[in-house]
Amino acid sequence: MTEILIDPITRLEGHGKIHIFVGDGGAVDHAYLQIPELRGFEKFAQGRRAEDMPQITSRICGVCPMAHHMAGTKTLDDLFHVDPPPAAKKVREMVYDAFMIEDHALHFFFLGGPDFVVGPTAPKAERNILGVIGKVGLEIGKEVIGVRKELRDLMVEAGGKAAHPVFGLPGGVSKPISPELRDRFVAAAAHAVEFGKFSLQVFRDVVLANQEYVDLVTSDAYTHRTYYMGLVDEANKVNYYDGRLRVVDPDGKEYLAFEARDYLDHVAEHVEPWSYIKFCYLKDVGWNGFTDGPDSGVFAVAPLARLNAADGMSTPLAQEAYEEFFSTLGGRPVHFTLATHWARLIELLNAAERMGELAADPEIVSPDVRTIPTETPTVGIGVVEAPRGTLFHHYETDERGLITMANLIVATQNNAARIALSVDKAAKALVHGPEVDEGLLNEVEMAFRAYDPCFGCATHSLPGQMPLIVEIRRLDGELLRTIRRD
Amino acid sequence: MSGTLLLGLGNDVAGDDAIGPLVARALLVELEDVAEVVESSASGLALLEVLAGHDRAVVVDAVVTGRVPPGTITEMGLDEVGEVVAPSVHQAGLPELAAVAERLGLTFPSRTRVLAVEVVDPWTLGAGLSEPVARALDEVVARVRTLIRSWEEEAACTTTTLSRPSSPG
Repeated sequence: MTEILIDPITRLEGHGKIHIFVGDGGAVDHAYLQIPELRGFEKFAQGRRAEDMPQITSRICGVCPMAHHMAGTKTLDDLFHVDPPPAAKKVREMVYDAFMIEDHALHFFFLGGPDFVVGPTAPKAERNILGVIGKVGLEIGKEVIGVRKELRDLMVEAGGKAAHPVFGLPGGVSKPISPELRDRFVAAAAHAVEFGKFSLQVFRDVVLANQEYVDLVTSDAYTHRTYYMGLVDEANKVNYYDGRLRVVDPDGKEYLAFEARDYLDHVAEHVEPWSYIKFCYLKDVGWNGFTDGPDSGVFAVAPLARLNAADGMSTPLAQEAYEEFFSTLGGRPVHFTLATHWARLIELLNAAERMGELAADPEIVSPDVRTIPTETPTVGIGVVEAPRGTLFHHYETDERGLITMANLIVATQNNAARIALSVDKAAKALVHGPEVDEGLLNEVEMAFRAYDPCFGCATHSLPGQMPLIVEIRRLDGELLRTIRRD
Repeated sequence: MSGTLLLGLGNDVAGDDAIGPLVARALLVELEDVAEVVESSASGLALLEVLAGHDRAVVVDAVVTGRVPPGTITEMGLDEVGEVVAPSVHQAGLPELAAVAERLGLTFPSRTRVLAVEVVDPWTLGAGLSEPVARALDEVVARVRTLIRSWEEEAACTTTTLSRPSSPG
């Protein structure tokens, strides 16, 4: 048998990498995060049938298949100029809510949760999924797995294998919801609501009751006064499946509201030589470097941004939680990055309640779930709120419906500039010189872990762990220290 | 549910990352009577859901270590995985999953073999397999077949042995 020794230097590609540059006095001059990316999507998509895009795009990401599938499906509606029947829209939203719940549950308890539930400076060996189970109890561990399984089974029933859904079609969905399946959605929603209430109580007991954590969440190291973007319904309430995009300024006032189709008028991309990721910013404000404030076009997406960008939640229990959130943290908007974890749980509860409302709607079992497209395809742009934030798909085709251009703007791209701000600020506040202890380094990582960023295909990370390389260099580039984090 | 799981990990449209799914696909029909064959690009806890309920598992995955030539197949048991799985783009974290399964009282494969194939480029969509990895495909398939067949024979022998006392004569 060949023994493979892992040399940190040879395995950099495919992993997140934090670079920290320190000056002569030991203070951090600047720091940034590199995220690897799957390459070649545009070329890969060219010449394919547009109808295949919801399946193809769901296959490029093992973490968010349903988000890509749904964004792709909505883009096909636009491309083929077809409006799905009301029942189809409800079915899509109900299934999508199931996905939001199971993904948020995974993140809070097993990926981001260890920082809070176990503690940011707890020994590394305990700061993982087992540590979380140790702290909250075996039953909760089983419950997380049980709720997720129930929801994933329903998603499979409604639309085929969760990894490769054959659910959404241009103009609707592939099959109606049977009364039996509807009943299971009703039961799962009730179960998920209880789980959501319980999860919020865990957050109150473990985080809010601990002044040290509250101080950490509200500390300047994790605060940026930026713009926020999210989908809202007609009443300006958070919605994950559909609506208008609303942007609020750093004071929480509505700055913009636009349809997905117009995203190119409002969102532009800034390129940096050190990053594979393009940094999205608000065109109307302009790129003003990696800074926050009203004159910088840097914005955020994802749970905290969605709550900030909306006037409330669409369901009663989540609305109560929304009000508690803003009253506890000093009013809307909240600029504390780490509050994203709390916002994520409020969304979990909201998605569970909303799923229940849709499942109870008599129209959900209507057989009328498809409008057959008849028009020639041209250009399609679609949007959903992925768990990690706003996700745009944009396809253009020839008259036969073959893709001539395809572009995706994923949540991590929308968030990239603010993530860069977060890493830089946390490193400056927490790191002093090349000798950094484990706990401090973890606190730097927490600055981006809250966003739940997608690390290309490297998102396949160990529960509770993030494969990562930290390099600490002098300003002239000399490498002082490499720390492997996995 | 089958006692044996063949799990081909990877993204079937991302260059060399397809090696795991391609091995699963090659054996899907041939092994259908003796194993559940699954391809997946999931990770972490989602993999726990795939692995749970099986007694034995063969996992095929792509790794980038840069320490051995592309196409090299490294076979490991669960206890050897720790350090080696880390460079995989899937970060399967099998030892952690086994520990979680044990804590939660879930059935988890007591015998696991991981075949890690050193790859060149698992990040370019639509690129297909690189030449050295394409050359290794048949060997990986053959090794997985041999492994699962040998488990079946072992299981058959065990059954025979156990049934002997009750047989007449």
